[in-house]
Amino acid sequence: MNKTLVSFLVFVVGLAVFHNAIFPIFTPKEIGWILNRYVYFLLFVAYLIITHFVLRLKPPIAMMGLFVWSIGFYFYKFVLYPPIPWTLFITYMVMWSIGTFLYISQDPETFREFRKPIVKTIVGEYKFAQIILLTAMPILVGFGTYKTIYPSYQEPVELRTVHPAPPATTKVHGKTYPLESTNNPFRVDEQDNYKDSFPFLDADKHEYMKYVTEGGTIFFQNCHYCHGDQLNGLGMFSHVFNPTPANFIDPGTIAMLQEAFIFWRVSKGGPGLPNESTPWSSAMPPWEEHLNTEEIWKVILFEYWYTGWHPRTFGTEGSEG
Amino acid sequence: MTKNNNYIKRLIFSFLAVALIVIPASAFAAAPDGVKKDMLETGKKVYFKRCVWCHGVEGGGDGPSADRLFTRPRNFIQGTFKIRTTDSGELPMEQNLIDTVKNGLQGSAMPAWGEFLSENEIVSVVQFVKTLIQDRDFGDTDEEVNIQDFGTNPWGTKGPYHLGVPQADIDAGKEVFLKNKCFECHGGEGRGDGNPTMKDDWGFPIVAADWTQCWNFRGSRRDPYNPFNVVRTVSTGLNGTPMPNFKDQVTVEDRWKLAAFVNSLCPRKNIDKLTNKPIPDFLIQSVYTEGQVSPSIDDPSWQSPDTDSRIVAFPEEQAENPKRHYIAMAGQITRGKRNFDPKTDDLWVTSRWSAEDNAVYYLVEYHLRFMSQDPEYPDAVAIQWPAKLQDLFGAEKPYFIMGDSKKPVDIWKANFLPQDYSATNAPKPDGYKLDVKVEELVGFGIESVNAKESESKVQVVDSIFKQGRIKILFKRDLKTEGEFDVQIPTEKFIPISFMQWAGRDKEKDEHMAISTWYYTILKPALPQSLYYMPPIMAVVFVCFQGWLVWMTKRARKMYDEGKIRRDELPK
Ligand code: HEC
Ligand code: HEC
Ligand code: HEC
Repeated sequence: MNKTLVSFLVFVVGLAVFHNAIFPIFTPKEIGWILNRYVYFLLFVAYLIITHFVLRLKPPIAMMGLFVWSIGFYFYKFVLYPPIPWTLFITYMVMWSIGTFLYISQDPETFREFRKPIVKTIVGEYKFAQIILLTAMPILVGFGTYKTIYPSYQEPVELRTVHPAPPATTKVHGKTYPLESTNNPFRVDEQDNYKDSFPFLDADKHEYMKYVTEGGTIFFQNCHYCHGDQLNGLGMFSHVFNPTPANFIDPGTIAMLQEAFIFWRVSKGGPGLPNESTPWSSAMPPWEEHLNTEEIWKVILFEYWYTGWHPRTFGTEGSEG
Repeated sequence: MTKNNNYIKRLIFSFLAVALIVIPASAFAAAPDGVKKDMLETGKKVYFKRCVWCHGVEGGGDGPSADRLFTRPRNFIQGTFKIRTTDSGELPMEQNLIDTVKNGLQGSAMPAWGEFLSENEIVSVVQFVKTLIQDRDFGDTDEEVNIQDFGTNPWGTKGPYHLGVPQADIDAGKEVFLKNKCFECHGGEGRGDGNPTMKDDWGFPIVAADWTQCWNFRGSRRDPYNPFNVVRTVSTGLNGTPMPNFKDQVTVEDRWKLAAFVNSLCPRKNIDKLTNKPIPDFLIQSVYTEGQVSPSIDDPSWQSPDTDSRIVAFPEEQAENPKRHYIAMAGQITRGKRNFDPKTDDLWVTSRWSAEDNAVYYLVEYHLRFMSQDPEYPDAVAIQWPAKLQDLFGAEKPYFIMGDSKKPVDIWKANFLPQDYSATNAPKPDGYKLDVKVEELVGFGIESVNAKESESKVQVVDSIFKQGRIKILFKRDLKTEGEFDVQIPTEKFIPISFMQWAGRDKEKDEHMAISTWYYTILKPALPQSLYYMPPIMAVVFVCFQGWLVWMTKRARKMYDEGKIRRDELPK
């Protein structure tokens, strides 16, 4: 069989098999050191090299160039994660195309070999290819021009500071709290002792669980619509708001904040934010309007108990539960 | 009940399950799955950490959240479950409960736990839930469960489900819908506007499902367009609700056609995997209109499908029409008097503008099952704008709930009452006319919302309430005189948001449904260059190609004639 054809089949069939059968295996829910998409990609490249070596395939340079270029395309389009924006993709592909060109023109011989089919097409030795190319290209150019001129709009991207610098003090229900030194008055014991305790059932037995039960009650009367029944920011109204409600399971919210910071955020809500945090669109209510100070502290206690995070304390990093 | 006995039952059951595969198309009876006692300890832990807040300490559906949830959390005591594969009135299979806990009940507060709890925790908590039931017993010998026969999807579609179902079957499904009078509860076009007086088994008011928002079906199992969900609902009914089963009235084949019809009413949108709701269209594009914009909602220029045109292409004659943008709405639960029970989930907004008219039009539509007839509490919907757009810097906006003291908002509010209407009327295909009163308000925060002093410029040029859907067509000049009137520029991103008040619920002022800030843009006319540039570029390229061919051929010839020498190859 024609070796060029074999090489082509090795590439196309190999890619189809790898992409449809092997790629899913390497993209499990929990990414590991071996089972990840980049290892998969290396495997694919290794497969190509080894089969070509073992079968002693030497496809013409034009086809090699095509292979190299396609591998880059495949990587940037399908393997790289998270997916990159379109403009960045174009930039990478331009770089990759230049690289491919350099590979082709590494010495005059390969370059000439590469040029040969192109020249033959242009002068009409490959009549069929010439006709197709000469008609398809102008149509593509016209279409591309149309696409570029056609006005299209995308909503502006807005950046906001999620955790702005807090004020030094905050005044809630007539009392001023310095954020540097305020602690949760209901944190009467080590939280980890109550990991397996039951709200409601143990509320009479342990003071701590009494506060957790009361805090949870407040949470499930007020906060779960936005922050979700699982505290993951996916409450039944959450999809409506932009910015979306905070996800307390995520290590990037309450886990890395001090309780006094949370106290300030819960009391003053969206309107209490500085301008860089878009106070005009945050749906977070200023809870001092609906809850008293004790209730605010209790709901904060509950959030930490439920998620297992520990608040960041003064001078230390936040820690995991 | 001894363990051994249970075991034998399960054996018989497995045998029957095998039999089902061998002898298809017949419902069969078995005993319900008993409680796995060894899992109860884990189950109790999960329940008291995760579920007790809604379902209550004894499973009475009276957790702390209950009084502010509509639909209320389920009271487990009676053992009544909506989503089953078993016959009406029967206990569910264990797998039904597991699927419910995994996928949640969309459109209610019951979340999906599949990604949050482990398989073992889910199965365990289901065992614990079973023990909360007092009025019935999963181990009772008198309990019998008959798994229903659902047939198989006759078109073999696996999704996207708008493909592969012949129109003839959808039309046949409509006949089944009419014959079985689903409209008595679900309304003439399936928006759930049929019957305002229904109650569920616990005595709480309940309304029929809105088929045009299938992502809110309790049993959608996070796969809202799958017709199987409807077949299951129609075959088993929803225990505890007025939704009956139709297994004797409608053959299995017809149930699939009915499902195809119900399904065809639900607009195809991109559904967010996390929230199970359509992804909002955050940019409302107002389409430039040659000449005058039609002030009539029925005009063809205002007809566009609700469906996302990227999923199902618009019909040819509507291809140029503006798209219907999906705006997500929630109860206003941030400030003042909060609304935990909004009656509207979303608005659909379509817009056109015209330079000749010097005006912009916004068609605001939403689904409302029943209208108010109380002049003191009319239904209402409003568009909110920054009143002083020119003073805003960068991304700055007024506070999204009726502005703030420094940055006022301009609110165009339409209040309306239906003519000759009663909520208990039979479906009326040509709809009800509305008496509309427009108010122009300026808001400096919820405590300070007042009528403008300047002359009113906003008009509602057309409106209707038809088959559970309200349509209000707003019009205003691009430029006006009033101090707090938004001045609408073209080709600029303008913040816009929406509010809605349900009169029957006695909503007014900040007790309402609300959206977040969106953007709108008045798109310019298509540039003339769109028509001549592409051909010019193509012709230029053809010339270039000709030149290239000529050059290459000439070079060839010169080589061949030896006029120039090819580059020498290294030996
Ligand atoms: C109407 C929806 C809504 C409700 C109800 C709500 N929140 Fe929020 N919350 C938000 C939004 C949106 C954000 C993110 C934007 C922001 O930071 O303001 C947020 C942010 C927060 C943050 C800041 C997290 C961080 O990483 O900075 C805390 C803490 C918080 N909410 C606590 C609560 C508590 C406690 C309650 C109930 C008493 C509550 N929220 C109720 C919408 C809501
Ligand atoms: C935020 C409140 C909330 C939480 C937390 C919650 N549920 Fe629910 N649950 C509901 C509501 C509301 C319903 C009723 C929905 C309806 O009837 O349409 C419901 C219904 C149910 C049903 C009945 C299903 C059916 O087919 O009728 C089961 C079973 C259930 N929940 C189990 C659980 C379990 C198990 C947990 C804990 C892991 C849990 N729920 C946590 C709100 C909640
Ligand atoms: C007696 C009134 C009544 C009739 C007649 C009726 N339904 Fe329903 N239906 C309801 C109610 C009430 C609900 C909402 C139950 C809930 O919210 O839990 C419902 C819900 C549904 C749902 C949504 C199920 C889900 O998963 O949430 C579908 C689909 C449905 N009905 C289809 C039909 C079809 C098809 C017919 C006609 C063959 C029909 N119904 C006839 C009252 C009715």
